[in-house]
Amino acid sequence: MASPSTFISAVNPPSAPSQPPVEKPSPPPVNILPSQLAQTYSYVHPTILLTLGATRFNALVEDPVSELLNDLPWLALLQLSYVILCLPPAGSLASDSSSNEKSQRSTSGITRPGKGPRRKHSGKNEWAGIWARLMPAFLSVALTFLIATPVIAVLLVLFAHMALLSSSGLTYVHGIDASLWKEVWGFARPADAVWGGAFGTVLGAWFGAIPIPLDWDRPWQAFPITILAGAYMGYVVGTLVSRTPLLYGKRIQFTPGQDEEEEKTN
Amino acid sequence: MAPKKAVGGNVPVLNPARNQPQSSKGQGKVQDFKSLQLEQEFKSKHLGVLGVLVWILFLHVAGIYFFTKGFLLTRMVLDNKSSCEVLPFESMTAIAGNKDKGCWHDKSFDKAVVIIIDALRYDFTVPFVPNDETEYAHHFHDNIPVLYETAVKSPANAFLLPFIADPPTTTLQRLKGLTTGTLPTFIDAGSNFAGTAIDEDNLVAQLHSAGKTLVQLGDDTWQSLFPGYFDENLTHPFDSFNVWDLHTVDNGVNEHLFPLLQSENRNKWDVIFGHYLGVDHAGHRYGPDHAAMAGKLQEMDRVIRDIIAALDDKTLLVVMGDHGMDTKGDHGGESDDEVQAALWMYSKRGIFGRTSKETLLPPKHARERPVPQIDLVPTLSLLLGMPIPFNNLGSPIEEAFAGPKGNDWANLATVNKLTAAQIKRYQHEYATARGAGDDAESFNLWSAAEEEWKSASKGFTSKSTAVRASYDLYRKYQRHTLDICRGLWARFDVVSMVQGVLLLLGGIMFIVVYARSMRADRTEFTGRLLLRAAIGSCFGATTGPVLGLSGLVDMTIIDCSVLLAAGASMVGGFSALVGKSAQLTLPLPSGVWGWLAFFFTVSQSVGFASNSYTIWEDEILLFFLTTFGVCAGISSMRQKLATDRILGVYHSVLFVILGRVASISRLCREEQMPFCRSTYYASSTSSISAPWQLAIPFVVMLFLPSVVRSFYVGSKSYEDNATLWIGFAFRLGLLITSVFWVLEGADDGGWLPLSKETLKTGRVFLAQVVLSLAFVAGTAAFVYAKPCVSISVSKPQDDPNAPPAPIIAGQEQKPRTTVTILGFGNVYGTRFFFLVINFALAIILMSKPMGQGAIALLLWQILSLLEILDTNALTLTNSAIGPVILGVLGSFYFFKTGHQATLSSIQWESAFIPLSTIQYPWSPLLVILNTFGAQILAALAVPLTVLWKRPLQTHDRVSTSPSTTKSPNPATKLLSDVIQAASTHILYLATINLATTMWAGHLRRHLMLYRIFCPRFMMGAIVLGVIDVILVLFAVTGIRFSTVSVGDVFGW
Repeated sequence: MASPSTFISAVNPPSAPSQPPVEKPSPPPVNILPSQLAQTYSYVHPTILLTLGATRFNALVEDPVSELLNDLPWLALLQLSYVILCLPPAGSLASDSSSNEKSQRSTSGITRPGKGPRRKHSGKNEWAGIWARLMPAFLSVALTFLIATPVIAVLLVLFAHMALLSSSGLTYVHGIDASLWKEVWGFARPADAVWGGAFGTVLGAWFGAIPIPLDWDRPWQAFPITILAGAYMGYVVGTLVSRTPLLYGKRIQFTPGQDEEEEKTN
Repeated sequence: MAPKKAVGGNVPVLNPARNQPQSSKGQGKVQDFKSLQLEQEFKSKHLGVLGVLVWILFLHVAGIYFFTKGFLLTRMVLDNKSSCEVLPFESMTAIAGNKDKGCWHDKSFDKAVVIIIDALRYDFTVPFVPNDETEYAHHFHDNIPVLYETAVKSPANAFLLPFIADPPTTTLQRLKGLTTGTLPTFIDAGSNFAGTAIDEDNLVAQLHSAGKTLVQLGDDTWQSLFPGYFDENLTHPFDSFNVWDLHTVDNGVNEHLFPLLQSENRNKWDVIFGHYLGVDHAGHRYGPDHAAMAGKLQEMDRVIRDIIAALDDKTLLVVMGDHGMDTKGDHGGESDDEVQAALWMYSKRGIFGRTSKETLLPPKHARERPVPQIDLVPTLSLLLGMPIPFNNLGSPIEEAFAGPKGNDWANLATVNKLTAAQIKRYQHEYATARGAGDDAESFNLWSAAEEEWKSASKGFTSKSTAVRASYDLYRKYQRHTLDICRGLWARFDVVSMVQGVLLLLGGIMFIVVYARSMRADRTEFTGRLLLRAAIGSCFGATTGPVLGLSGLVDMTIIDCSVLLAAGASMVGGFSALVGKSAQLTLPLPSGVWGWLAFFFTVSQSVGFASNSYTIWEDEILLFFLTTFGVCAGISSMRQKLATDRILGVYHSVLFVILGRVASISRLCREEQMPFCRSTYYASSTSSISAPWQLAIPFVVMLFLPSVVRSFYVGSKSYEDNATLWIGFAFRLGLLITSVFWVLEGADDGGWLPLSKETLKTGRVFLAQVVLSLAFVAGTAAFVYAKPCVSISVSKPQDDPNAPPAPIIAGQEQKPRTTVTILGFGNVYGTRFFFLVINFALAIILMSKPMGQGAIALLLWQILSLLEILDTNALTLTNSAIGPVILGVLGSFYFFKTGHQATLSSIQWESAFIPLSTIQYPWSPLLVILNTFGAQILAALAVPLTVLWKRPLQTHDRVSTSPSTTKSPNPATKLLSDVIQAASTHILYLATINLATTMWAGHLRRHLMLYRIFCPRFMMGAIVLGVIDVILVLFAVTGIRFSTVSVGDVFGW
C-alpha cells in the first residue's frame, strides 16, 4: 500500500506468490518384506489370483452377481494373507515422526492401529504384536467395504472386489494417514507394490470397458465382467511391474516440468 | 466494493501508458506512438495468422477433394441411345420399327398415368398383421387399402409388389434409377439440393423422341432432370423442399390431373407423371406414426380411387413409391424401411397374370418376391411399345407379361430375350469403352439361353418346357449381369484416394510441428511460412498444367495443378518451420495431460476401423469425457492452493455430472437397436418433440444466463456490458426462442385456434428476431464493446471533501487514491466469451427443444472446463488437453442434439425455422448451424483455453527505454498461444478426419461401407471444413476485436 495508486486485482491467479502450505514429507514407497516367505509369496499371490479368476470365469459369465458375492470372502482372505505375509504394517515405516503427529490430529476419534509397534514394547507382549499385525488388516477390509457401500447389487460387488484389490494394501501399510490419502486421491504416490496394485486395478478396470461395445456377440461382453477381469489383471501387472527398479519410487507427472513452467509465468 | 481476494501480487505488471501518461507530455506522445506501433504489429501479425489458417483449410479441402474423387463411386455414362429401328439382336423374323404397333414388341397400352407417391413404403399398402398380441396397428397401417384390395379382387387388372430402391434413397437418385434403369453411384448422392439434367438414354427421352406428349405434375425435381421434355402448357411443377407444407403440392397435382383425365382432354396427352409429396413431407415433419400420416394416406387412397374411376381401357395406371422411410420418417440411407417401396399397376383391360397360385396374393412382407425399382424401365417401355433405354439393367416384371391366365410363356420369353439382348449390347459397349471383357458365367448363361430359345422356336407351343427354360435363363442372365454391375461400379480410383490421404497426412504432419513442437512465438514464423507456402503453391500451380498438357499424367489440368500446388506449398511450409530447427522440440506428448490428449485422439481414430466403435461413438465420447473429468479431479487434488484444489474438484465433479445429464438426450441409429432408446423426439417413430419437452427452452431461459453470470461473478467480471448482454439480451433471445418452439408445438398439435399461415408467419418473424439479435446486434456488440471491467476510484477516508477523480486517466492525482478495477483477472476471457454467447443463442434457436437443453449443458460444460484448465494451470502452459477436450465435447454434443453419423438424421426441416422458403445460401447454412452447432460452439471456445483468466500483461515501457532491445509484445504472445490452441483443435479434427478417410478407403469392400463408414467419413470431412472456416472467420478473427478492446483500455 505504499504506492500512491493501487490496482486491486479481484482474482487470485494460481501463480500468485502466496506462501504454499508447508508440505510434510509423504510416506516413502514401501518394499515387500525381505523375508524369504514374503518374497516368494509376493509372486505366488498374483498367480493364485489369476488362476482363481480363470477357473471361475465361466461361472462369472453365467451369473456375475452371485459368483462375485461368493468369491468375496475368498478374495478378502487372500488379500489378508498377502498383506500380513508380505507387507510392513502401518507405522512400521521409518519416516513416521512427522506423520505421527499429523495422523493423530486428523484421526482423533479412531485409535491408530499402527501405534503398537512404535512403542517398542512388542517384544514384551506377543499378543500385542499379533494384534498389531491383525488390526490394520481387519481395518483395511472393513474400510474397503465401507468405501464400497453406496450402490446396489452389481456395482456393489464390483466395487467391493476392486476396493479389496486396490486399498487393502494401502490401508495395511499406511493406515488412515490423511496426508497419504490425499496423495492417493491425487495419484501422486511413488510407485511401489502397494500403490502399483491400486493404480493397476483402476487402470485395468478402465481398459476393461473397451471390449464391451464390440459386436463379437460373446456372453462375457457384459458390464461387470470385462471390467473386473481388467481390474484383476491390472492389479497383478501393477504390483509386479511397479516393484521393478525401473519404476520403483517414480511418480505420475501431470504436466512436464511444472515447476519450470510456473517460474516462467510468474 | 472491496474484492474478496484483494491481492496486489500481480498488479505491478499493469502499466497503462495511454490512460496514465507520465509527467512530461513528450514522453506521453512517445508512449502513444509506441502503443500505436504495438497495435499495428498485433493487427498485421493477426492477419498473417489468419493466412496460415486459410492455407491449412486449403490443404484440407484439397486432400478431401482428391480422396472423394476416387472414393465416391463413379460410373461411366455412355451416350448410346436405343432406337426403335434397331433391335438389340440380329433377327430374321422379328421386324423392328413399327411405331404404331410398338417398337421392339407389341405395345399393350397407348397411354399411361404414372403416379409417384413419394416415400410410399410397402407396409403402408398391405393389411396389418400383428406378429404377436402386443403389436398394434400404427397410424401408417391400413390407411391406403385400395392397392391391396384391387390386386386381390381382380388379379388380372392389378398387381401389387414390393419395389426395392437402390440406395441412396433420395428422390433425385430414385428418379434417375426409375427412368434410366441403371444403378446409382454414390457420386450424385450429395446433389439432392440441385439436380442436374440426365444425359443418359432414359424412358422419358425415348417417349419424347417418339413424339409423345408428356405431362409432369408435382415435385419439381423432374424439371431439373428432364428439362424441356414436358409439355409446357399442361405441366405444373411445385417446389419440393418445403417439407413443412403437406398439402400445396398434392392439391396442385389433383387440381391439374383430374381435368386431364376427362374424356374431352384425353387426346391432349400420352403420358402423365404425377408426383405427390404429402406422404414424404408428413414423414419428415411428424414421422410415420402420426395422425397427419394417416390423413395423408387416406387422401391418397381417395385420389387413386378417383383416378381409377376416370381411367379408360387404353391407359395404364402405375402407382409407386420412390423409396420408403425409416421409423422417424426420414430417408436417404439403405435400411430396409428406407428401400422397401410399393409398386402397383392397374389396367381396366385385365391383361396381368400370375404364373403360379402361390403368387396370386400380394406379398405380406416386403421380403417376399421383391422387384428392383429398375425393373420398371423395361416393363413400362415394352408395355408402351418403346425401345428399352440403352443403359437399362432391369428385367421385365413377370406379372405384367404373363397374360391373364399366367401361362403366356412365349411372351415372357420374348420380352426377356429383348431385355437380355439389350443388356448384353450395353455390357459390350461398356466393356469396350472401359477395356474389360465378359466373364465366363454370364457368357455361359447367355449361350444356354440362346440354345433353349432356338429349340423352343422350333416347337411353336407357348407352353413348351424349352420356352420356360429360355425365359428362366434369360432372366438369370439379367440378374447375374445386375450383380456384376453392382460390383463393377463399386470400382474405386485408388490412386486419387491415396493422393488425398497423403495430402491430409502431410497437413497433419505440418500441424503437429506447428502446433506442438515449436517453442518460439508462432507469429514470428508467419511471414516466412506464408511466403514459402505461396512460392510452393505458385510453383505447383504452374507446373501442373505443363504436366497435364504434356500427357505425362492421367489427370485433368486443374486437378494436376491443385495437387501440385498443395504438395509444393506443404514442402515450402515445412522448410520454413524446419529452417529454424533450434526452435523445435520433438512433438511427443509429455505428462499425463499430453498423453491423455494424444490417447483420446488416437484411440478414437483407431476405433473408427471397427463398425461397433463407430456405431457407439456417442457412448465412447462420454467415456472419454468422464475419464477427463476424473483425471481433472485427481490433478486438482494435487494443487497446492486450497482454493484451486476445491474449485478444481468442484468443477471436475460438475463436468462429469453435466456430461451424464446430457447423455440422457439421444437419438438412436438403427444399428444401435435394440440396446438404445431414443429420447430426442416424442417417440421413436416420430420427429416432433413431446409436449413436456417444450418446457426445456423455458428452463434454459431461466437458468442458462444465470449460470453464465455465475462464472462471470466468480472473477468479478459481471460488470458493464456483461450485465446488459448476459442478463438482458441473452435472456430475451432465449425467451423469444421458447415462444417460438411453443408456437411450433401448437402448430403440430393444433392447440391454438389460429390458422397455419398466421402461426407460420409469427414463428418465422420471431426466429428472425432472435437471429438478428445474435448475429447483427451481437456482432456489433462484440466488435465495439468495452471489456467487462468496472473501474472505481475511492479517496481515502480522511479526505472526504475532495471530489473523486472521474477516471484514472489524465488528472493530477492526489496521493493515496485507491483505484479498484473489478473484473481485472479475467479481462480477456470474459470479453471474448461474448462471441460464444452470440453463437450459443443462434444455435439454441436452431435446435429442437431437447437439443436446446443439450446446447445449454454444453455451454455450462465449456465454462466448467475453462475453470478446470485455470485451476490446474493449463491455460498458460499451452497444454493440448484443453483444445482436444473441446473437440471431444463438440463431437459428443453433436450426438446429443439429435444427430447421428447417418444421412437420414440430418434435420432438413431446420432450414425453415427462420425462413418460409428455400433461399440460397441461407438454407444450407441454417442446416449446417443445426447439424454442427455443437462443434461450432466448441470451436469458438478454443481461444478461451488460453484466454480464460489470463493475467493482463501489457508492454512494460517504463523500465525499458524505447531505444533498448526490442522486448516481445505481449499481444503477439497471446496471438501465438491462440493460434497454437486453434491448430491443436484442428489437429484433433484432422486426425479424426484422416482416420475415417483411411478406414473408409481401406474398408471400401466392407458390407457396412455405405451404412457406417462412408457416412462417418463424410461427416468427418464436413466437420473439418466447417470448423476450419469457423476458426478463420469467427474464432481467431474475434481475437482481434477482443484484444484491441482490452488494449484500448489497459494499453498495449
